[in-house]
Amino acid sequence: MPGEPKAPGKPEGKNAVSRRDFLNEIAGGALAVAAIGAVVVTVNYSSPNVLFEPPTTFRAGSPDDYPVNSVTYLQEQQVYIVRTDKGMWALSAVCTHLGCITQWKPESDQIACPCHGSKFQRTGTVQAGPAPRPLPHFALGLGEDGVLVVDKLEVVKETEILKV
Amino acid sequence: MSEKITYEVGLGSDAVRQPQRIVFITRKMSAKVKEKTEPQLMSFPHVIEREAIAFQLLAIVMVVLSLFWDAPLEQLANPLLTPNPAKAPWYFLGLQELLHYFPPVLAGVLIPTLVILALVVIPYFDVNIEGEPLWAHRSRKRLQIYVGVFAVLFVFLALYDAWTVLIPTAVVGALGLVPYFNPTSDSRFQKFLASRSLPWWVMTWFIAVALTLTAVGTFFRGPGWSWVWPWS
Amino acid sequence: MATTAWNQQWLEQLRQTRVWRSIFRRGPARTNRTRSLAVFGNLALHVLPVKVREKSLSVRATYYLGSISFFLFIVLTITGILLMFYYHPAVPDAYRDMKDLIYVVSNGVFLRNLHRLAAQAMVVAVFWHMFHVFYRGGYKPPHEFNWVIGVGLLMLTLFLSYTGYLLPWDQLAFWAITVGTNIISYVPWLGRPIRFLLLGGHIIGQNALLRFYVLHCVILPLAAAVLIAVHFWRIQKDGGLTVRDDHE
Repeated sequence: MPGEPKAPGKPEGKNAVSRRDFLNEIAGGALAVAAIGAVVVTVNYSSPNVLFEPPTTFRAGSPDDYPVNSVTYLQEQQVYIVRTDKGMWALSAVCTHLGCITQWKPESDQIACPCHGSKFQRTGTVQAGPAPRPLPHFALGLGEDGVLVVDKLEVVKETEILKV
Repeated sequence: MSEKITYEVGLGSDAVRQPQRIVFITRKMSAKVKEKTEPQLMSFPHVIEREAIAFQLLAIVMVVLSLFWDAPLEQLANPLLTPNPAKAPWYFLGLQELLHYFPPVLAGVLIPTLVILALVVIPYFDVNIEGEPLWAHRSRKRLQIYVGVFAVLFVFLALYDAWTVLIPTAVVGALGLVPYFNPTSDSRFQKFLASRSLPWWVMTWFIAVALTLTAVGTFFRGPGWSWVWPWS
Repeated sequence: MATTAWNQQWLEQLRQTRVWRSIFRRGPARTNRTRSLAVFGNLALHVLPVKVREKSLSVRATYYLGSISFFLFIVLTITGILLMFYYHPAVPDAYRDMKDLIYVVSNGVFLRNLHRLAAQAMVVAVFWHMFHVFYRGGYKPPHEFNWVIGVGLLMLTLFLSYTGYLLPWDQLAFWAITVGTNIISYVPWLGRPIRFLLLGGHIIGQNALLRFYVLHCVILPLAAAVLIAVHFWRIQKDGGLTVRDDHE
């Protein structure tokens, strides 16, 4: 009948989309973008940019403080300073299995983890237990004033030994 | 009576003259009808009363126990000193025991994920819904699959020396075979075993292993996660 | 009933007042209609069905394990909120506050014991409930999705217990959480970022304590409350509790 609005007809053409569907798709897309954006913003917010954690580079005294063929545990830093007749290296004291702090056992010449019984040699190699990797070596350097400097963020190869 | 009114065809109200298929119910979809009408009670007061009593009983038990059983508090947290042994809360001790045998990716990530997934999909498998006894047909093929699965499991566990998992697996596995080899037994226990379905056996195996691992982790593990006898 | 006529008359008069009738609309629940309204018209109770099958009310049907799990959640919420009055989620304070609660605060040791006991009991109850529902086939259609919700509730219960475990900040707490979060870092690809977000850093320190506190007191309880509501609602909508045939 004349004067009455026409009911929406089917869109013609192969890929034709009705106006209603088009607007719905646009709205849905906008909502999806907003939702994803909300998640990303929340995750970014939750990820701290500034951390108040103990410094990872520290001084460890002079090499003479460590007798030859000794393993010294620095408790504050959870690092072993190992000195042999070939040289020195710094070993992480954190067990590579699940993060417990290991203990140096001089009577059995082993570094032992109390949590699940992993055992390491003074080179860091795994001797027994479920630890999947050897204890990492940290970069050990000699500062200008002859003081040892350990950087826990820099992991070096086992073969790198500081000659003193 | 001016214009001709056009009628649309829809559902007729005479189901005999014009039968219409409205819904198609398969065996899987139908709700189980046990009885035509079961005796029912009004929730108020019957459910409310019983829940109130249950809550009060629970509160009494919890309060009495809390008056006598102190929660532990050890020394201040010291990030530099790991206690020996360092144990997880008791509901994770089974997992920690598993971690003793298997690499962390397997025991810490893969197995818990698979367990949760397995729990979630239970209701979507027909074999769990039908609840047929495992050996209802004494099928040889089923026996072969059963023995095959257990053999693979045993080899895997033995390779990793995981005997605290192996022993309950062996016990449940052996019990599961009893109805196959002894189908005409008169013993009530054997009749009970014979009526158990596959999901029942799998869940019972899971509970047996979980209980064993948790018990071992709680009572039989000491410093360095070494084996200790709890009475020593 | 032992009430005297005087008492009952007074109560009846109270019930006729405008104030009373504006609050309580249905009248005393003495007819099946008003009993139905007591459940149907109540915000908290309408998640229950108006009628239940008599079989499902016996103790042997369910051992009331689901109800017990829910009640323990209530106990934990109440004791937890009270404990929050004295607990600061900060690194030197937390342990001090635990000692405060145990030795100084009136009934502090009782509330703490109750909270911890209820937590252990809830883990047991939830596991037992799951196994019992399994063994009586309560996961079968049309209850499949409710079982999945139940598994979700199990995960929330374990995670709630785990986040609460850190809060005393003693050796037991610290190292249990160390092991747990290191396991998370073994998840391929996402493990380390998840651990970083969870701890708010690389180490278990101030940030970790605060995040675990927020998870334990706000996020997880809200999630659990929502899932509990859905869990109860599905039981009603799917036709009531499942009872084993041989338990008649």
